[in-house]
Parts: sequence; C-alpha cells; structure tokens
Amino acid sequence: MSRARYPLGDYVPGASWLHRAPLGAKFLGVVLLGLGTFWLRSWVASVAVLALMVLLFATARLGARRLLHLLAGPAPLLAAVLVFQWWQLGPAPAVSIVANVYACIVAASLLTLTAPVPALLDGVVSAARPLRRLGVDPERLALVIAITLRSIPYIIGTFSSVRDAARARGLERNPRARAMPVLISSVAYAQRTGDALAARGLGDHGPDAEREGR
Amino acid sequence: MNTLELRDVVVRIPAEDERPARTILEVPRLSLGERRIGVLGANGSGKSTLLRLLNGLQEPSSGTVTVNGRDTRREGRAVRADVGFVFTDPLSQLVMPTGREDLELSLRRTVHRRDRRAHAEEILDRFGLLHLADQSVYELSGGERQLMALASVLAVEPRVLVLDEPSTLLDLRNRELLRRTLAGLPQQIVLATHDLELVLDLERVLVVEDARVVFDGGAADAVAHYRRLCLAERA
Repeated sequence: MSRARYPLGDYVPGASWLHRAPLGAKFLGVVLLGLGTFWLRSWVASVAVLALMVLLFATARLGARRLLHLLAGPAPLLAAVLVFQWWQLGPAPAVSIVANVYACIVAASLLTLTAPVPALLDGVVSAARPLRRLGVDPERLALVIAITLRSIPYIIGTFSSVRDAARARGLERNPRARAMPVLISSVAYAQRTGDALAARGLGDHGPDAEREGR
Repeated sequence: MNTLELRDVVVRIPAEDERPARTILEVPRLSLGERRIGVLGANGSGKSTLLRLLNGLQEPSSGTVTVNGRDTRREGRAVRADVGFVFTDPLSQLVMPTGREDLELSLRRTVHRRDRRAHAEEILDRFGLLHLADQSVYELSGGERQLMALASVLAVEPRVLVLDEPSTLLDLRNRELLRRTLAGLPQQIVLATHDLELVLDLERVLVVEDARVVFDGGAADAVAHYRRLCLAERA
C-alpha cells in the first residue's frame, strides 16, 4: 500500500547526532526554518537551504532511498504549484516557493524520523503545559499533532491510489474524479480515527486524567 | 461478571431532504451477563450499531444503555475505560506508525511515562508480538495487525471486550490464531461476526435482523436460525 511507505511520520531507530540531539532543539529548528522561509526572497537562498536540509538528512544516516521517497510523495502537487507560480510570478519565485516547501518537508522529517512519536507527544505536552492557564489541554494538543503527522502520509497515499484508480478507468484528466474520492476518503479516515480514539477513551481527558500517569 | 443492559433503546437516522427517518436498531430490553456472547446478522442488520452502543460510540436516540449501572450517555468516559472496542479493520484502530507507539498511546492515561515503554513491551511479549514492536503497522500481516489492535485495546485492561467482525479480513490460519487468543482472555467478550465456527464457541448468541433481535439463545440454535433466515431470503 503506497500510503504505508510515505516516510514522514515513521521513526527510524538510530544513534546519529540528530537522534541524540534534544527534542526541544530539533523542534525549535523546524519552527525557525518554517518561519524563516517566509523571509527568503532569492531562489538561490531557497535552494541553498534545501541543500542544507538534504545534507543534514544524509548526516543523520536516514537513507537516500527514504529521502527520494519523501521528495517524490508531494512531487505531483508541487509540480502543479511550480507551473502555476511560474505562469503567475515567473521562474525565480516559482523555484523559490517549491524549494521552500521541500525544505520544510525535509526539516519536519528530520524531527519525526529521529524522534519516536511517544517522545514527541511527551515533548509537546511539556512545552504546552504553560498554556493550560489559557484553557489549552496539553494532552489533547499533543494528540492532535500526532494524529496530524499520521494523517499526512495517509492523504498523500490516497492521492496516489485515487490517481491510479482514475487512470485505470481512463479518467486521469477529470479533476473531479481525482479530487472527490480523496476528499471522501480523508473524511472517512478522520471519522475512523476519531472512533478509534474515542473507543480507547483517548481525547476526552478530564482533570483526573491530567493527574494520572504524568 | 459485568452486566450490559439496554432498555427501550431505539437508534434512528433522522430524516434528511427527501429521505425519511429510519430506525436502524430497536431493542426493548436486553441484559448481557454471560462471559462469551455473539451477535449474528446480515450486513446492515444493525449488529454493529448494537455493539457500538455498548461502549458509547453510538448514543441511542431514545432509551438507555448501561454498563455495570453506568449510563453510556452520561458517563461515557468511565464506560469506555471499562469496555474496549476492536474494529473490523485493525488499520482503523492502530493510529500510530508502529505497534509499540500505539500501545504507548493506549497507556498514556494510566501509566507514568518512565514505565510506559517497559509496560508496552510486556504486553507485546504476552501476545508474541514483541519482535514486531517497531515494524510499521502497514507491514504486518492481517493476523498480526488484528492481534496488535487487540493488544492496544487490552493494554488499558478493560473488563469487557467488544469486537466488531474481528475475523472478517483474516485467512483461516489467522482466524484460528485469533480464536485461540480470544478463548484465553479473562474479559467478558461480545463479538459480532459472520464466522459461524467462531460463534459455536460462545455461550449465548443473538441474531439481529432488520434492526431487531430476532433470536436469543444457544450457539447451535442461533446458527440454525440464522441459516434459515438467510435461506428463506434466497427463496
């Protein structure tokens, strides 16, 4: 199943410097890079940042094949973005936008591939604890982030399955035949995930649950 | 033993546009106290709705469902802590990338974080799944996935286990593995299935047809009743 193998949310056990780096530092790095891309105006700078992310990926020994797969997943969508932005804004901004998106994807993967999900959840819960005064439930926030991470590969995989199904019926040029099944499948996935969490009593944390186990 | 009670329960889908309201389950009175209970019924008969009522995933449109005296509508969280639910497709159940991570997710509410990993490993070992702990859930076989989903649910130590067609996606070998695993569990079990062999192990079996419980009795008689219903439909 193609959706299974999109590697964004799958932790890769290892002992590289990035695996050993503190979770908070890695998280901060991803946030700063994500925000920093808004300020990148030159396509050369965007490509350089992407190259740096690829270099970090290599030094974390996460594998060239995994990197290629990571880049190939959103390629159809980003190709469309590239063409559209080229037409609207010209080649330099188009290359810059796509390189920035790719840099963010690789940066996010450096976090998720080198930190197991339970550690990420615990990290988010700790970081969000001060927000409790504002009514934010840290456990629920962590769960939302974990489920979002889990959903991205699923939805990318659904795009690819639906594209194949449309192709098999000769409907590859019909945008409706490609978009609607992805939408329906994503909503159904969200409902199933919600049911699965509710069935295990996750997500409905009350004050006593906050005290328990942490 | 636990007691699951349904009183004057009706589950309705409200009218929408030109589609009239529809009753998908109607149970005047039902009390489930046996250790091993089965639910047989055709697709769309209402058996999954009956199961989903038992841990509050589905609320009745009217009437009450209680588990050991707790109302599933008012005390849903407490009920869900007592009643574990296993879905037909384990991929719907396993929300984390690997089995270990999924088990640790189950344990978040009850086990301190420094003990979670060891606790998860202990459960995986009990189910013979420890060697698959870090494998992507998508790379597991159907049987391994279903056992992993079962382990994730049992990690929170529910008193009742509800399973919605747990063997539907399994081959014969994995069905047998699941059957043996279920037989060895101490929990009260309520399961819906099309697998007539699985049903024959159970103490009490309900047959659901057209949104009603039309038979309630021993396994052999229930299977015979269900066969008659299906054959009568064909004729």
